[in-house]
Amino acid sequence: MKKIFRIFNCLSVSALIVGFGGLLFCISCGKQDSDKERQKVIRLPMLTKIQTLDCGNLTDVYSISIASQIFEPLYDYHYLKRPYEIVPLTAEGMPEISEDHLVYTIRIKKGIYFQDDPCFPEGKGRELKADDFVYAIKRIANIKFVSQRWVDWNGRVVGLDEFREFTKSFDKELDVDYSVEVEGLKALNDYTLQLKLVKPWPQLQWNLATVVTSPVAREAVEYYDKEIMYHPVGTGPYKLKIWQQGFFIELERNEKWRTEVYPSEGEPADLEQGYLADAGKPIPFADRAVYRVIEEFQPAWLMFLRGELDVMQVFKDNFSQAVDPATLTATAEMKDRGIRLIIYDDPSIFWVGFNMQDPTLGKNPPLRKAISRAINRQAAVDLFFNGIHKIAYGYLPPGLEEYDPSIVHTDYSKYDPDEARLLLREAEAIHGSSIPSLTMAIPGTGNLDRQMGQFMQKYLADVGLDLKIEYMDWPTYLDELNKGKLQMFFSGASPSIPDSLDMLLAFCSWNWGYGGNHFFYSNPEFDALFRKAEVMFPSPQRTAICRKLERIMLEDYPAAFINHRVAITIVHDWYRNAKPSAFSYNTLKYRSVDPDKRNAYKDLLKELKKKKK
Amino acid sequence: MITYILRRLLYTIPIVIGVLLLTFFLFTVVGGDISQQIAGKNADAQTIAEIRHEYGFDKPLFWSLDSQFLDHFKKALTFNFGRALDREKISEKILRGVGPSLSLTAPMFFGTLAISISLSLLVAFARGTWLDVTVVVLCVAGMSIPYLSFIIFGQYFFAYKIGAFPIMYMPEQSMTYSLALPILIGIAAGLGANLRFYRTVMLDEMRSDYVRTAFAKGLSTPKVLFKHVLKNAMIPIITNVVLVIPFLVLGSFLLERFFGIPGLGSLMIEAFASRDYFIINAMTFIFALLICFFTVLTDICYALVDPRIQFE
Repeated sequence: MKKIFRIFNCLSVSALIVGFGGLLFCISCGKQDSDKERQKVIRLPMLTKIQTLDCGNLTDVYSISIASQIFEPLYDYHYLKRPYEIVPLTAEGMPEISEDHLVYTIRIKKGIYFQDDPCFPEGKGRELKADDFVYAIKRIANIKFVSQRWVDWNGRVVGLDEFREFTKSFDKELDVDYSVEVEGLKALNDYTLQLKLVKPWPQLQWNLATVVTSPVAREAVEYYDKEIMYHPVGTGPYKLKIWQQGFFIELERNEKWRTEVYPSEGEPADLEQGYLADAGKPIPFADRAVYRVIEEFQPAWLMFLRGELDVMQVFKDNFSQAVDPATLTATAEMKDRGIRLIIYDDPSIFWVGFNMQDPTLGKNPPLRKAISRAINRQAAVDLFFNGIHKIAYGYLPPGLEEYDPSIVHTDYSKYDPDEARLLLREAEAIHGSSIPSLTMAIPGTGNLDRQMGQFMQKYLADVGLDLKIEYMDWPTYLDELNKGKLQMFFSGASPSIPDSLDMLLAFCSWNWGYGGNHFFYSNPEFDALFRKAEVMFPSPQRTAICRKLERIMLEDYPAAFINHRVAITIVHDWYRNAKPSAFSYNTLKYRSVDPDKRNAYKDLLKELKKKKK
Repeated sequence: MITYILRRLLYTIPIVIGVLLLTFFLFTVVGGDISQQIAGKNADAQTIAEIRHEYGFDKPLFWSLDSQFLDHFKKALTFNFGRALDREKISEKILRGVGPSLSLTAPMFFGTLAISISLSLLVAFARGTWLDVTVVVLCVAGMSIPYLSFIIFGQYFFAYKIGAFPIMYMPEQSMTYSLALPILIGIAAGLGANLRFYRTVMLDEMRSDYVRTAFAKGLSTPKVLFKHVLKNAMIPIITNVVLVIPFLVLGSFLLERFFGIPGLGSLMIEAFASRDYFIINAMTFIFALLICFFTVLTDICYALVDPRIQFE
């Protein structure tokens, strides 16, 4: 036995020496690096990796939120004012619009420069010209570029569709001759851009405020070719420093950026909430921004609590630790750490959709209505969203100009199992027999998805309906949804611009399937009214039509609308000017951090630990 | 020996062709055209057609010189796997991920191996004692705890509570510092099963006559254990060890995900989630090659450690 212990001791001691030495080495390495703590660095989490930084092909929110700090379109949303207001960014002023609303003339600010990049002669960024906007839009039209954003421009600008046809004759994106003139898209001179439209397009102003329409330097595209997606060359306040794909992105201040100042006007509450404290000061405030892709909840939450992230969303998993549900404020534990909550309506809508071409559901309005009546939305909000989300009484979400506050008095989303049972008798009469089992598709296979499926099954079973759930991965779900193969489906949407028509488009009959009408809903009255509204500029009449469109659709019950999202963000007190915006992404330049407060956080945690003891 | 190795390497050719046929059948014939998925939610027919052309989905499946079938073989055999759904070169993605994955899995592998073999010798020698019982109980406990629990607990306790390690991999800090905790967690989580396996192997050897003879001749315990028992136990150890090596390249998905390590584990899972058949094809092919190579290597090692085995 002694021998055993001798061997064991030898091995243990060696292992301990090696292990302890290694550990000390590791920790010392870390300590050395942590000494390099920098000032004014914003640290943000991202829930998923970004796909591309090629501004002509941006589709996902995360890619857009990074690209928006690097590229600058013509217009922007006012950072503080609500309802959302468009303000010039690289444009000199608002567009001059002809009386027939078909010709837009936009003057561009002088003295805006692209960031320095090897694609330019001697690596020095050149001045922005109107031609760069023309090139950017023509590039989206170029079929060889295969932009997912062509759908925004299809059939809108005089001659642009013809240009797209012309590009088909080339083999590669870079072979296309961009000097071919497009009648509706011209640079009148270096600082004037002209757009001629096929028909009035009121949403154009919103499109010109999205990062997708930002100017692109042709030199950069030709220099980087397909690798342009990793080498964004913009005119914005930040430029890309490091991109470790799928894990980490670091932006640094673009030293060549012009001087702009923080806005001095906002909503009445902005002063009280401190959003106007930096009014008139030059922006951007932060020197660098570090984005970490953190797909798991635990590491993100631990990093936030340790002060290594400045901000994060509150999810179901950290809700009880972060939020006091009675007062909807931060819990005492969070307040002690100087952490606060920001709660805001995030325009969105979630629904159980019906396939209107399905033989069981499509021809049976009482059945669809019965399903809607059977779902207890309040229970869903309480169970899955901590009681914070809002019940969807209609389709259009709060936060949009066209949202109708009186919709809460309607019964489209009423929970009434007794009425549901009566409606079911009617539905059975129409169907000719008892209603067969229904099938609902849910995109996702996680716990929450399964709980949602079980919830729906329970409430439908209560009124006598049998529901089967199919849990699908996202690509399969999307494929079947677009092809109209799903009988019922759980889905949701958020508007990309503050215009209800963007959302109502999902019910137009010409948009079936791939176009976004996954309900395969068709109503001639709806279509005709939509055609009328889409060429109208914002006005009370247009708002009234949007509301009417919503009611027409709701009467047909193409879906049971469930809830609108209310977002809760949790931020450290050193993170400033964190006013949320549902539509604007180029907000980094307004955000700021107080490095002294951040550096004092570790001491604060030690103090709190002592107090606890 | 060279003839034997060459012959074994030739045997791998039909295996590799079989893998390529299988992946073509699964991901191209059955998986079908994913151009709609690449084009996005609201793409028009023209864009979808252009994508079909760009990725070659419009080419004939079999009967043509530029068929998808021949293209599939050409890409694999030239290691030019083309571009992934996000349009990045697959070879670049793989090369970028190999380093971090191996930095994580190689120390985990060697650490687990060294500790479990050393301890297994000890506990096998001390079978039936309190030391053996304690280690076996701990091993069973370690095997019963899910891998995820090791990660969640390790990250919470050692990184957050004690603060000895970073919570996630930090590019601005050294790789060693960032990887230390996931490596330790990986070793701890893998120790139970490995130790139990090697203990059984060692026990079989301990009961052999030659061990008794060695002790009877007066050889020291370390000499018996490390020179004779370990050498004779090498066949099952080699089988277990060498065939695990290809898996090291694939990384550890859960550890990579929780600690933000940019390795190949994450790449594979993302490829499955987004139905990126191009990446899956490439990874499957590379993995098949590695398995073939290490299987041959295992056979060679058998002959090297056991003189009774001949290269025939």
